[in-house]
Amino acid sequence: MLNIQNLHAEVDGKEILKGLTLSLNAGEVHAIMGPNGAGKSTLGYVLGGRGGYEATSGGVTFDGQDLLALEPHERAAAGLFLGFQYPVEIPGVSNVQFLREAANAQRRNRGEAPLSGAEFLKLARAQAAALGMDAEMLKRPVNVGFSGGEKKRNEMVQMGILNPKLAILDETDSGLDIDALKAVGEGINRIMRAPDKAVLLITHYQRLLDYVQPDFVHVLAGGRIVRSGGPELALELEREGYGALAA
Amino acid sequence: MTVLDLPTKKAEAWRWSDMDTLRAAAESPQAPAGVDPSDLFLDIDGPRLCFVDGVFAPAHSRPGPVEVTRHIPATDHPLGSLAVGEGWALHLGPEHAATCIQIVHLGTGGENHVPARILLADDAVASVVETFAGTGWANRLTAIALGKGARLMRSVRLVQTGGFVSIRDEAEIGEAASLVSIFLGAGGMGSRIDGALTLTGKGAFAEMGGALLTSGSQRQEAAVAVRHEQIEGTSRQIWRAVAADESVASLAARVEVARGAQQTDGEQSLRGLLLQRTATVNLKPELEIFADDVKCAHGATVGELDRNALFYLQSRGIEESQAKALLTHAFVADALARIGEAPVREAFAADAAKWLEAAL
Repeated sequence: MLNIQNLHAEVDGKEILKGLTLSLNAGEVHAIMGPNGAGKSTLGYVLGGRGGYEATSGGVTFDGQDLLALEPHERAAAGLFLGFQYPVEIPGVSNVQFLREAANAQRRNRGEAPLSGAEFLKLARAQAAALGMDAEMLKRPVNVGFSGGEKKRNEMVQMGILNPKLAILDETDSGLDIDALKAVGEGINRIMRAPDKAVLLITHYQRLLDYVQPDFVHVLAGGRIVRSGGPELALELEREGYGALAA
Repeated sequence: MTVLDLPTKKAEAWRWSDMDTLRAAAESPQAPAGVDPSDLFLDIDGPRLCFVDGVFAPAHSRPGPVEVTRHIPATDHPLGSLAVGEGWALHLGPEHAATCIQIVHLGTGGENHVPARILLADDAVASVVETFAGTGWANRLTAIALGKGARLMRSVRLVQTGGFVSIRDEAEIGEAASLVSIFLGAGGMGSRIDGALTLTGKGAFAEMGGALLTSGSQRQEAAVAVRHEQIEGTSRQIWRAVAADESVASLAARVEVARGAQQTDGEQSLRGLLLQRTATVNLKPELEIFADDVKCAHGATVGELDRNALFYLQSRGIEESQAKALLTHAFVADALARIGEAPVREAFAADAAKWLEAAL
């Protein structure tokens, strides 16, 4: 589904990713772990298409398409979802308005009919309820005044509504208390655990992996994957730290 | 020619004014507007008045309680004092109400001047919606006096395709009375929205604010002074400016608190958004306070669209231009949200949205 070949990328002229190669197949959950500054968030942003994060060589295909040639909104329409480490507050734009615009923009881009207001509200309420988010919060401005946990739940509600093929979740577990962590973990499993979907979890700690069992774990250090393994690798990292591996 | 006596940039209060555009509009030849005045009214029940090039057009009007009358304004304001001749007046007796009065000003070129007067007796209630369309120089003076407990909601939209609109409001707001005036500049004209509001009674409320949207080489400005003369008054000046291309939007807001006007609660919020770095937003918040038990909040900021927010919207599938429109609309929304009547508020929001669609 996602094929990253020898990817080099720079931010502000500084090379952060230095030949990263990684493949995800449908039905798989991969975790990327690594120390601070390894390039984890840069990888998420390069795949999402954020301005200022430039791929200088190598390539990425998503379902056979050249991902890097697409605009950010086209990547979303193609089925990619980027979960933000720090979801952005947008005063003056309600969650409902934002998500309905987003869902319908994606549908338009795919040549599908837009959802009516009623259809959309039904979908949004169901997803909010499944994540234990008060439906009233859908009416509030996007993430404004939300706690850290509420913001991350809101990311999962968005993911549930947009129903992507591939979710790249950047430190979705950071800033969560144990209840929110459980809710978010269950959300990822419910929405994304399917034979035709895949997940790339970018995380610093093992704890989210207690709820979302990865099929593969990779260690990112110095801008490339330095080691890959099964779920047991995450436990080893938790025990021994990144120091030995990154060396 | 009235245009000979125009203020110049040498005067501090007129340093950002675009008198060249005003002069050109005044001298522009008349040409058919190509607009049916009846299309400029919002679909709301209520009295209607139409002025075409400053002349009352009875065929498009049903004035109700509003009188069409000549008056000579008592002001020394350099533009306001030019608004002499046929105009309109709304006088309401105690506890009378007249809402959703719509006034359409259509210009076809050249200059036109209309004075207006709104006098509300104690506990009277009125709301007025004005629309400026067409072209030419439209010059207006509106004198407002509100008796005890009277309430006036005024919504003014400037959607002329070109030319210039100058508005001068002079208001006296009595005890526990309330004046809310919200302006939207969303056309291609130059503008000067100029106000002097005086809170003459205890516990009065005065608000003047809105949104100026500029593009191309356009210049729009608002210059408002609010004077608190009595205790327990409240004032709000909430302005948003969005400037694209090489345009200039300027906001000057002043609060004066007279000696003894204790427990004044004033708020100024001036915010500018640059859609391109070639555009300019000028902000000038001013406070002059001669009382010691006063709360005056003030903020003035100019910035660009938040790149994080922009990428966040795009990453969810929203195209860049639409994402910019959403964020810009949100930026001006809180200034327009002060309009009390939902259909008017929605119409103004739709005008702003239309402007954004064209500018982004």
